[in-house]
Amino acid sequence: MLELSDVSRHYQVAGRTLSAVDGVTEHFPAGSITTIVGRSGCGKTTLLRLLAGLTEPSSGEVRRDPSDQVGVVFQEARLMPWLDVADNVAFPLIGRLDRGEVAARVEEALMLVGLAETRRALPVQLSGGMAQRVAIARALAQQPDILLLDEPFSALDAFTRRKLQRTLVDIWQARRRTVVLVTHDVEEAVLLGERVIEMETGRVVGRVAIDLPFPREATDPAVVDHRRNILARLVGGTDPLP
Amino acid sequence: MSVRRILVPTTVFASVAAIWWLAGRAGWTNAYLLPAPSAVVDALSELTASGILLKHTLVSLQRVLLGFALSVALALPLAVLMSTSRPCRAVLDPLLEFLRQVPPLALIPLLILWLGIGEAQKLGIIVLASFFPVFLGFRGGISGVDPKLIEVGRIAGLARREILWRIVLPSALPELVVGLRISLGYSWRALVGAELIASSAGLGYMIIDAENLARTDIVLAGILVIGAIGLLSDLLLRIAISRVFPWLSADLEAARA
Ligand SMILES: Nc1ncnc2c1ncn2[C@@H]1O[C@H](COP(=O)(O)OP(=O)(O)OP(=O)(O)O)[C@@H](O)[C@H]1O
Ligand SMILES: [Mg+2]
Repeated sequence: MLELSDVSRHYQVAGRTLSAVDGVTEHFPAGSITTIVGRSGCGKTTLLRLLAGLTEPSSGEVRRDPSDQVGVVFQEARLMPWLDVADNVAFPLIGRLDRGEVAARVEEALMLVGLAETRRALPVQLSGGMAQRVAIARALAQQPDILLLDEPFSALDAFTRRKLQRTLVDIWQARRRTVVLVTHDVEEAVLLGERVIEMETGRVVGRVAIDLPFPREATDPAVVDHRRNILARLVGGTDPLP
Repeated sequence: MSVRRILVPTTVFASVAAIWWLAGRAGWTNAYLLPAPSAVVDALSELTASGILLKHTLVSLQRVLLGFALSVALALPLAVLMSTSRPCRAVLDPLLEFLRQVPPLALIPLLILWLGIGEAQKLGIIVLASFFPVFLGFRGGISGVDPKLIEVGRIAGLARREILWRIVLPSALPELVVGLRISLGYSWRALVGAELIASSAGLGYMIIDAENLARTDIVLAGILVIGAIGLLSDLLLRIAISRVFPWLSADLEAARA
């Protein structure tokens, strides 16, 4: 169970009240994959943090099964600088699983993100995209019941991004856990979501069911159609984008 | 790069020695007040041959290491305790803040009255002088932990204690290391000070004894040895630290840049 009912989160910024998330009611069915798309600053990260329980709502209620384990890929990599790549991936598992199991999960997760050769590198030695992939591996290795991802592929080149989008879909199809992924890339939202939630200034302004089989191709006319429609709605004629 | 790291300081020291030597040669300095470098070297080899230098050096080293270790052993748990417990902070902060304002030198008379002029008094002075850099460095590091990393621990379901051990303390290490280096330096200074005032052995004593005998060459030799050991111990500490915590070493930053 993952639910928001009339959830708002306000911040005081320079003496004014800002609603980062404003009266959102949303249900994320168990085992579904949902993408949230919207412009920079529209409240996507705040919404994800509310789902994770890292931010308390100013009003409304977040309902999550307390026994559900949550995994988060933050917008920044957030690696422990004193741990190498493998130990960073192992970080949430230590003390919960025995050594052999931890090692196996770490290996598997590093393979999935293509960093098996880099397991002994320290975070300072990684590029931005590599660090982001370590953060993804860390969340995958946890095998959480609820996986929340905040623009997890933003620092990646087009090829690696495509590959990891496929990997995420594969994992979701194999395990059927609840996944919520935030992105500002409309195409990514359409490629990955059973449902796309459109956000604007803290509100949910649209929900689109994408009834296409996985894996999806960016060149599929149905994908292109969805992408064009969502983009048109989000831009809303206020922004001179092509 | 590493050639320059050795070459530059060597050149600097050699130039100072050359100017020093020239000044004596030209008659700008008084040979009694500032003996020539050669006289100091002679004094050094004389002290080395007779074993006097080694004896005093060992006495001083032992005191410094013991006092420094004592300081660290006190400062680390206290820093953790005060960072994690509000009541401890409330009680101890004003006391420690007061103590920090008092220069250790001002406490020497009191220490002599309480502890005599033996080893306990020397250790007392070293601890007073070297406690705060480690203590404050570690506390600063602890309170400066990145809250974003703590969130990673919360999401992983770590308990408070685990977050302390696995996130807060490791991320405080860089500042602790700076504190350790400063403390080690302070230990040396305080020790020599203590040995100048009341002592029958140690490098500080060797200097003051030489002054009484008007042996400026030995005084200068003693100063050189103290400075050299200070540099060397800092270097050793840095090497030890980069061995134990490779992620702290600046070379990694350089490699990335
Ligand atoms: N801790 C905070 N304090 C004050 N304001 C905040 C805080 N967190 C978020 N905000 C504000 O809330 C709004 C939404 O921020 P949020 O980070 O959720 O946006 P976002 O959609 O994730 O943007 P981006 O795509 O750039 O990451 C912004 O206007 C931001 O300034
Ligand atoms: Mg964001």
